[in-house]
Amino acid sequence: MPGADKEADLTERIEAFLADLKRGGCGTGPIRGSGETARETTALLRKVTAQARWSSAGDLMEIIRKEGRRMTAAQPSETTVGNMVLRVLKIIREEYARSRGSSEETDQQESLHKLLTSGGLSEENFRQHFVHLKANVIEAINELLTELDGTTDNIAMQALEHIHSNEVIMTVGRSRTVEAFLKDAARKRKFHVIVAECAPFCQGHEMATNLSKASIETTVIADAAIFAVMSRVNKVIIGTQTVLANGGLRAVNGTHTVALAARHHSTPLIVCAPMFKLSPQFPNEEDTFHKFVSPHEVLPFTEGEILSKVNVHCPVFDYVPPELITLFISNIGGNAPSYIYRLMSELYHPEDHDL
Amino acid sequence: MQQPSKMNEEELVEYFRTQMRTDPDMASAVAAIRTLLEFLRRDKGETILGLRESLKWATDCLTEVDSSVAVSSGGELFLRFISLTSLEHQDLSRCKKVMEERGELFLEKISLSRTKVAKLCHTFIKDGAKILTHSSSRVVLRVLEKAAAEKKRFTVYVTESQPDTAGKQMADALRRINVPVTVVLDAAVGYVLEKVDLVIVGAEGVVESGGIINKIGTYQMAVCSKAHNKPFYVVAESFKFVRLYPLNQQDVPDRFKYKADTLRTVSDLSDEHPMIDYTPPSLITLLFTDLGVLTPSAVSDELIKLYL
Repeated sequence: MPGADKEADLTERIEAFLADLKRGGCGTGPIRGSGETARETTALLRKVTAQARWSSAGDLMEIIRKEGRRMTAAQPSETTVGNMVLRVLKIIREEYARSRGSSEETDQQESLHKLLTSGGLSEENFRQHFVHLKANVIEAINELLTELDGTTDNIAMQALEHIHSNEVIMTVGRSRTVEAFLKDAARKRKFHVIVAECAPFCQGHEMATNLSKASIETTVIADAAIFAVMSRVNKVIIGTQTVLANGGLRAVNGTHTVALAARHHSTPLIVCAPMFKLSPQFPNEEDTFHKFVSPHEVLPFTEGEILSKVNVHCPVFDYVPPELITLFISNIGGNAPSYIYRLMSELYHPEDHDL
Repeated sequence: MQQPSKMNEEELVEYFRTQMRTDPDMASAVAAIRTLLEFLRRDKGETILGLRESLKWATDCLTEVDSSVAVSSGGELFLRFISLTSLEHQDLSRCKKVMEERGELFLEKISLSRTKVAKLCHTFIKDGAKILTHSSSRVVLRVLEKAAAEKKRFTVYVTESQPDTAGKQMADALRRINVPVTVVLDAAVGYVLEKVDLVIVGAEGVVESGGIINKIGTYQMAVCSKAHNKPFYVVAESFKFVRLYPLNQQDVPDRFKYKADTLRTVSDLSDEHPMIDYTPPSLITLLFTDLGVLTPSAVSDELIKLYL
């Protein structure tokens, strides 16, 4: 029967995605970049919207929340999955409000104003059925997918405003966004890039190779040399895995070192991060914040004698507090870290923050 | 049926005092708003302008009794509430009915705000944490009660907070819920901070810049925690947001700094000890309110939304 086939197909795709998530994101670099993860998640959620059985917006949100919880449980450190689920939930709320004809913005956030003027403790329960809701939601998700496709280009377009001729730029490890950013600026300007290799995974090497293929003068340095070289650097441009709700970062380990060295020399620190990396989490949940991988990169198993006497850790991420960051460059423009709360309130609804 | 007569000053003050007495857990701003709502119910005015005038007078009476920032912000919020409602309904009697209904609803909602704050904040307290707090704050107490209920183990240091040694009350309340607590001297804050993981304080008022007005000694604690790189968290309900923008300690109006009796009796205030101080937003890490977890820069946004 075609209906049952489609259902089976959908669950199969979701299972494959979950397995991929569990496997991927290991220390040697994610098997898929976060952009691809975001796109896959959104495409899957679109399929769920199209094929699952639901009659009202409330049901759809429940189904999406359920799938979202499963996906985030598979790989808690991959926050883009959760972010996309929250975006889709906000889309559903907006489309529902639009179908009902009520003005969208005033009903959304909690505010003192709302506390004073609301007529009753009326809870929006999303039970009404609208015929065109499905089509509207799917169209809005398609718009979201187009936005996701264009993020790297939108960020790279802003490169010429920030990079000037004969500058020395420092970066850490490998970020596809920063790579595109620097390559775009290299078309019109000549500058020098210093890449910190970012042990033990040494992704900086790959970054340097790619940059030099685009005829950018590149130097690779060891992590220990970051502070020593910083006095000659004009700007530090880095990517990140997640942007947290207080404006801080969860980035590859070694980034906090670069940020502190930059603060010491008063060098501006610019973070290139697309909007889908913005997460409503705060850096307090220590259990889920850090991710540790096999320490054989730090101390190989061949060093058997030492291994029995020491504890070896290999964390993947670093926390960078918002005071050390100068500017965030995202696909919607440049923002200060203190403005992140505003961007968050535009992207996600506060009731969805805990899936 | 005889309507209750308009409230005069004594009745107003008596009502306020009764509210504070019957429920010692109630915030003073909430008691003020309740009193003003009762005043509204009994008011005999014919015009909205007259109503606003009498409410301003009533708020002034209340600030003479309790000069804290909270009462002032509660009164201002209530006035704003009246203005917003009166914009929608032109007819006074209809307006008054709507105001009374909404007033009750508002009071109901803000009675839940401490619970909302506690729900947001307790996740930031990790197992085995050492917490420093200042003086006695009912919101901080609620947060710590919630964390203890979630089976987290933590120890608390409380400053004794002269001149009224309010810290001892906080310590007693914490001992009752079996939280290990130590009372320290106000002067020992710098000494204790190296042992502490985080600092949580309440606020009497949250100002437009994102800074707070709180019991004297809070600013000192904030400066020390910045020096030691410890997170400084503030917990406050949203009705404490006030439209002040002090740039330094001197900018805080005298009517908040000293107790109401002092203001009435003493002629030269420079000899008196202030009861509150101002902590600038650069020293605050995060604010936990019933509107969510806010960075200090987000506070002015919230205030603008209200007063636009």
